[in-house]
Amino acid sequence: MENLQELLHGFTIAVTVPHLLLMAVGVLLGILVGVLPGLGAPNGVSLLLPLTFGMQPVSAIILLSSMYWGALFGGSVTSILFNIPGEPSSVATTFDGYPMARDGRPTTALATAFGSAAFGALIGVILITFLASWVAQVALAFGPPEYFAVYFLAFASFVGMGGAAPIKTVVALAIGFAIAAIGIDTVSGSVRLTMGVDELVKGVSFVVAVMGLFGIGELLVAVEEEFHARAVSSKIDWREVFRAVGRLPRHSVALLRSAAIGCWMGITPGGPTAASFMSYGIARRFSRRGRHFGTGEVEGIISPETADHAAGTSALLPMLSLGIPGSATAAVMMGGLMIWGLNPGPMLFVDQKDFVWGLIASMYVGNIVAVALVLLTVPVFAALMRIPFVVIAPLIVIICVVGAYSVSNSYLDVVMMLGFGIVGYLFKKLFYPLAPLVLAIVIGDKAEDAFRQSMLLSKGSLGIFFANKLVTCLIVGGIALLLLPLALQLARLLRKPAPSTDGTAVQEKVII
Amino acid sequence: MISRRALELATTILTGSFGVAVVVSSLDNGIGWSSAGVDAGTFPFLTGIIIVLGSLYNLVRGLRPVASLANVPIAITPLELRRLAGLFLPAAIFVAAIPLLGMYLASAGYVFAVLAIPRHQSVPRALAMAAATALALYVVFERMFQVSLPHGALASALGF
Repeated sequence: MENLQELLHGFTIAVTVPHLLLMAVGVLLGILVGVLPGLGAPNGVSLLLPLTFGMQPVSAIILLSSMYWGALFGGSVTSILFNIPGEPSSVATTFDGYPMARDGRPTTALATAFGSAAFGALIGVILITFLASWVAQVALAFGPPEYFAVYFLAFASFVGMGGAAPIKTVVALAIGFAIAAIGIDTVSGSVRLTMGVDELVKGVSFVVAVMGLFGIGELLVAVEEEFHARAVSSKIDWREVFRAVGRLPRHSVALLRSAAIGCWMGITPGGPTAASFMSYGIARRFSRRGRHFGTGEVEGIISPETADHAAGTSALLPMLSLGIPGSATAAVMMGGLMIWGLNPGPMLFVDQKDFVWGLIASMYVGNIVAVALVLLTVPVFAALMRIPFVVIAPLIVIICVVGAYSVSNSYLDVVMMLGFGIVGYLFKKLFYPLAPLVLAIVIGDKAEDAFRQSMLLSKGSLGIFFANKLVTCLIVGGIALLLLPLALQLARLLRKPAPSTDGTAVQEKVII
Repeated sequence: MISRRALELATTILTGSFGVAVVVSSLDNGIGWSSAGVDAGTFPFLTGIIIVLGSLYNLVRGLRPVASLANVPIAITPLELRRLAGLFLPAAIFVAAIPLLGMYLASAGYVFAVLAIPRHQSVPRALAMAAATALALYVVFERMFQVSLPHGALASALGF
């Protein structure tokens, strides 16, 4: 009950005129970056980051998180109307969303998607409301070994459950750690890994990496296949909106199952993309109409959308209560938290009650604002898609260049951003996952500090990671996740070689 | 034409050499255990080793032909390569021109060049878009958010 009181207090912070305006601005900007190919939630949020430095932290996080919700919705709009996923996490929505829209039911497809997305987000927020402060309370007793074990578990779950090739994930993670180590070492004060470039003493900002990896990289992937936006009608029939949402409860099994998958993938950092694919795959297998999937099935829209939003929302739970972001965008937001002078982790729930509960309350309100705004603005943003790509591409390049420069007024950052663009393109093309790379850049230092502090406590013995039940469980769980892909491969070898399903091939194409 | 195999190879070489650079560079900071605890170079050293080993594994995997849908033999067709170059080269020239021309001139020139030279837009329209871009940057950054973008060596030589 204490949580509900705190939540009510949070509503008094979130539901004020300036904050509602910020939500609307954030959602609209979010839909914009969600709709535009080449701009996504991670680099949209990092572009806005420098503009929030003068704000109250709670206002800033409301703006950024609203942008995240907007981007999640915006990605679905283009998936359904144009068969072009605006976000990697909405690729699975194209499978059934576009066929349904093409068959003359665009309003039904959009309303079903938004309705189930809102349901997924709601479940995610409820989970955060009741679980986050409890997790934080448990985490208050954590020492450095426990922290390192939690970080280890988070990174191991990327390898075990991320869906990309395990060794490619490991390489991406390790590169992120190395980039995080560049600059001044916080423990000893010595300068590391600058490779003779003096300017690198300040380190490599995750914003620069995100701009290049997600911005330029995605643009390069998009330019390869010059797509033509063949839009279906984007007119909204309001009566059909309510009818479609009214039909949703008939699919309550799919809704609940997808929300559960989404929440699980969001909390353990599998991310929204993996969640939506997993949910779609499971729905196809268990639905009675599974054979019709791909031709405009309602459950084929409900499942990925619900899981996508449930994962996107619940990714904030570990960020708030443990200081471990559950998705790339959450990692960028956590970087923001640190810049605003807050320390993400359990102490937030003690020291920054207004911030935490203001944010949680704003998630309830922000998603309602997002659904309303996205329905109202579908025709506007659909028209935006008709601007030729050759015009949009240079503008996105300029946005990324200026964004990278404004982090610390450094030209070197711009050059590095371009370099990250090439890496991002290669990684995307060859299915190296990008989210763990960004995550490692943001929390690499913290993981390293936790490890070194543990070593100081134990005077160099690794035994400290098996000193009590909790830490042993976490470490063993992490090792199990690391070995999971190996075990699965062995199991597959022992069984007769089965023909691979086409679903996994499609999935590999889009895992970021 | 660039094959998937060549692309995998190039990427593993890229990641592998980054790993080697990390390993070599972290040796300067000392690895192992000293009176102050774990030395500063230890953690980067370990990540460097992981990068090198992982890259070697991916190198071997990339060389071995695997028949699967996801493993298409051709990764980039000549047409795609042209499109890639068409986007990346102007962007690189734009970035290279920033120290000399400054952000405003360079971005206006960039927009004009990519729109007018391949004849995507008429010259007057491309000019208008270029001017609008520079103006928008100036209003948003210099005025609204008080972020000073680089004005360039040319502008400072002319006394701006």
